[in-house]
Amino acid sequence: MSALNIKRWFWIHRWTSLICTLFLLLLCLTGLPLIFHEEIEQLLSTDAPYQVLPENTPMANLDQMLNAAQRRYPKETLSFAFIDDDEPQVVIYMMPDLKGKPDTRHAMQFDARTGKLLKDEPPASRQPQTFLGLMFSLHTDLFAGLPGELFLCLMGLLFVFSIISGIVLYGTFMKKLDFGTVRKGRSARLKWLDLHNLIGIATAVWLLVVGVTGVINELSKPLFGLWQMTDVKKMLMQYQNRPLPEPGHLSSVQAAYNTTKKALPGMTITSVIYPGNVFGTPYHFLLYTKGSSALTSRLFTPVLIDAWTGKLDAIVNMPGYLKSLEISRPLHFGDYGGLPLKIIWAVFDLLAVVVLISGIYLWIVRRKFYADYFLNLSKEETNE
Amino acid sequence: MNNLQFKKVWAMPLLLAALTLFGLLAALLGAGYWCLFAWITILVPLLLIIQKTWLKR
Repeated sequence: MSALNIKRWFWIHRWTSLICTLFLLLLCLTGLPLIFHEEIEQLLSTDAPYQVLPENTPMANLDQMLNAAQRRYPKETLSFAFIDDDEPQVVIYMMPDLKGKPDTRHAMQFDARTGKLLKDEPPASRQPQTFLGLMFSLHTDLFAGLPGELFLCLMGLLFVFSIISGIVLYGTFMKKLDFGTVRKGRSARLKWLDLHNLIGIATAVWLLVVGVTGVINELSKPLFGLWQMTDVKKMLMQYQNRPLPEPGHLSSVQAAYNTTKKALPGMTITSVIYPGNVFGTPYHFLLYTKGSSALTSRLFTPVLIDAWTGKLDAIVNMPGYLKSLEISRPLHFGDYGGLPLKIIWAVFDLLAVVVLISGIYLWIVRRKFYADYFLNLSKEETNE
Repeated sequence: MNNLQFKKVWAMPLLLAALTLFGLLAALLGAGYWCLFAWITILVPLLLIIQKTWLKR
């Protein structure tokens, strides 16, 4: 590579890195506790443990739990139900108005086997900010909603470019050095340059994977919006003459559950979205189902059940871009290979912090060093 | 950069990249033993960093 080309890559690496570094540091630090959010939640939970029942106790009737929730809040509307496949719980969400603000939504937790109400929580707007909630907001949208998500998405893209340019520069820096050389004792700058190169190249693939999947995750709202405006809209056209189902006159959710189970025997149903929910359709119960392997348990297949008749209307095939989004989640969170993988994620995260900070340091002490470096490069070129 | 020099510079980074990628995908696509393979292969770059920074004088 010519000295001019190296200079260009250097320029790309310096500016893409400088612009995103502070935000990346924030993402690394807030991401660290989020890796262990399940463990932390469990630790901080004050809930009583679940009643001990035989392992194969069947699930209680969904309609009975939904009716109990509706009786508690007769003026409100059922929004959706989450059927946990990890813990024996069904969480039912209600809103004063389905088209209202998302933070008016509140949850009731039921024991999935007895159908007994365990907890009735106030809406998010009336709950104190939790530590993990704070970390999550700082990590995903900086408290700024969609604009914040898109901003962090842009920072992630710059980060990806800075990794790629860093890999290119690694090749030129290491021409005369053995892999992993750390020149200690000469100058702090050389030592940190070597550490930046070593740790950067050894973690490059992880950084790229987590960077790219982070960018994709930040696009989840636009991607789902795109799907709703295209495929979903087209699919719902055929139902547009149907009367809208009225709350209180809907078909049975338990029957919808059974119908879906029969149509897709190998799949697990994880949630039921009520008609009128902005994430559902006006005419159907939308049931999200997932597979059982490590991979297919991340891929969801929506099923539409007519909310008047209880008839199965459609098993929906998600488009490729939403499947990529679904695969991006585990690859970003590191939550798909047990606790050891989470610990590995945390170590990589801390190493990323070292690469970021050493990068800033190298930029601060840069001037004289790189002037000499480029002088030597062009001398070499004329000698060759 | 000639062939020999290319190998000297990139052999190790490419090996680490392959191991990391294998580990990341093995845990996603497989279960049981595959998870164990995944942990071991992703650990290699981390152990190498420790060896080069702390253990080597």
